[in-house]
Amino acid sequence: MTNSVEATHADASRPAVWAREVYKSFSGRTVLDGVSLKIMPGQVVSLIGPSGAGKSTMLRCLTMLDRYDGGTLSYGDLTVCSGDKGSCVYDRDAVKKARMHFGLVFQSYNLFPHYTVLRNVMDAPIRVQGRDKGEVESQARELLAQLGLSEHADKVPDQLSGGQQQRVAIARALCMNPEVMYFDEATSALDPKLTAEMHDLIRSMADRGMAVGIVTHEMGFARTVSDRVAFLFEGRIVEEGQAEEVINHPKDERTRGFLSMAED
Amino acid sequence: MFSMLMQSYVVTLQIFALTLLGSIPLGVLVALGRLSKFKPLAWLMGLYISVLRGTPLMLQMFAVFFLPYYAFGIQTGNNYKFTACLIAFIINYSAYFAEIYRSGIQSMPRGQYEAAQVLGYSRSQTFFHIILPQVIKRILPAMGNEIITLVKDTSLAFCIGVAEMFTTGRALVASQRTMVPFAIAALIYWVTCIIIEFALHRVEKRLDYYHD
Ligand SMILES: Nc1ncnc2c1ncn2[C@@H]1O[C@H](COP(=O)(O)OP(=O)(O)OP(=O)(O)O)[C@@H](O)[C@H]1O
Ligand SMILES: [Mg+2]
Repeated sequence: MTNSVEATHADASRPAVWAREVYKSFSGRTVLDGVSLKIMPGQVVSLIGPSGAGKSTMLRCLTMLDRYDGGTLSYGDLTVCSGDKGSCVYDRDAVKKARMHFGLVFQSYNLFPHYTVLRNVMDAPIRVQGRDKGEVESQARELLAQLGLSEHADKVPDQLSGGQQQRVAIARALCMNPEVMYFDEATSALDPKLTAEMHDLIRSMADRGMAVGIVTHEMGFARTVSDRVAFLFEGRIVEEGQAEEVINHPKDERTRGFLSMAED
Repeated sequence: MFSMLMQSYVVTLQIFALTLLGSIPLGVLVALGRLSKFKPLAWLMGLYISVLRGTPLMLQMFAVFFLPYYAFGIQTGNNYKFTACLIAFIINYSAYFAEIYRSGIQSMPRGQYEAAQVLGYSRSQTFFHIILPQVIKRILPAMGNEIITLVKDTSLAFCIGVAEMFTTGRALVASQRTMVPFAIAALIYWVTCIIIEFALHRVEKRLDYYHD
C-alpha cells in the first residue's frame, strides 16, 4: 500500500518496545507497581483496565512525556533507561534517538492549529528528521490519500471534524516512519463506521510490521483489533494473553469483575 | 506654527518607533526570565515588572534623567535628554509587554508542547515554530492596546524637556496665547492612532485564517 509504512525496518525477533518491571509514583502514591509490557513488531497490544489503573501513566512514560522512577525501558536495541525498583537512569542520548522510534496519537489529537493539514504532516519530518522536502511531501500526500484526507490537505485543523482530525494526527505520526504506534483512547470519539475503519487501519499497520500499543475502554474493539491484551489493575498487570482469551475467558477474579461491568 | 508642530511630530514618531523597537524584544527576554525555572531570575524579573508597572512613567523618566548626576556625579549634556527618555520608555514598556507575553505563553495548552516533544522538536524549535506563532495571534489585541497607549504616552517626554509634539505645542500655546496648537496636536495624535489601528486590524485579519 505505501512505501512509508514499509519503511518500518524492524527485526521481527526482538521486541519493538520493552518495558521491564517499571515503577512510577506521584508524591508517594504508587501508580505503576512493577509493570512489564512487550510489543513485538507486527503485534497489536491493548492495555485495558478500570479508571485510575495507570494506563495513561504507562503510555505517558512509554512515550517519555513522563519518566519512570524504576525499571528498564528499551526501544529495539536502544536502552532508554535502566534500573531496578527504586532507581532508573535515563540516557539522554538514547531518549533523543528513541523518540524517532514511536509515534503517538493523542486522545485530543493536539494538531498544530496554525499549520495546514499538509504542513502538520510534513513539518516534523523536514525540521526534525532533516529529510528532503519533495520526498516528504510525496509521502505525506500519499498518507493523506490513504486516510481519505486529500481534499483537506490545504485546510487548517479547525475546519475538520473530530474523526478527520484524528486521521490527520495518525498521518502526522506515520510520516515519521515509526516502528511503534501508540493510540490513547483510539475510538472514543468515533462512530461505528469510523471505528470499523480504525480497526482496519490499525490491522494494516501491524500487517506491515509495525508494533501498535492501544489504550482503550472499548472491550469489543480491544478484542477484535488486538493480538494480545494486558489487564492493568491498581498499577499491576494482573492478566495478560491472547485477546480472545483474556476478554472472553478471563481467569483472574479482578479481570472478570471489570469485564462483567464493562459488558453492560 | 504648523510646521513647528510637524517638526516636533517627527521626534514623537522617533520616540514611538524606537521604544517599540527596543521594548518588544526586551519584553521577550523579561518574560522568559519571569518564566524561568531558575528561581532567583524569575523573582528578579517579577520585581522588575512590579516596580516598572507600579510607579509612574514620569518618575521613571526623572530617575533615568538625573541618575547619572546624583549617583555618579556625571554631567550629562543636553542631548542626553532624548536618550534618557528612550531608556525610560523602553524599560517601562518592556515590563508591560513581558506581562502580555507571559500570559500568552501560559495560555497555550500543554498538549501543544507534548505533541512537539513526541515528534522530536527541540525546545527552541518548539518555542519558535509551534508556540510563538500561536502566542502572537493570542496577544495581538492586548499588544494593540499598549501600542495605542504609547502614541499618547510619548507626550510625557515633556517632563524632561524633550522637544516632541506636546512640548512644542505647550510652548506655542504659551507664547501665542491661543489653544489652536493643542487642537492641532490632538488631531495629529488621533490620526496617528487611527492609522495604527488600521495597520493592527490588517495584521489581525491576516492571522484570522485559523481559530483554536
Ligand atoms: N501528574 C499526576 N500527578 C499526580 N497524580 C497523578 C498524575 N497523573 C496520574 N495520577 C494518578 O495516577 C493514577 C493513575 O492515573 P491514570 O491517568 O494513569 O489512570 P488511567 O488508567 O489512565 O485511568 P482512565 O481510564 O480514567 O483514563 C490516578 O489515581 C491519578 O490520579
Ligand atoms: Mg487514562
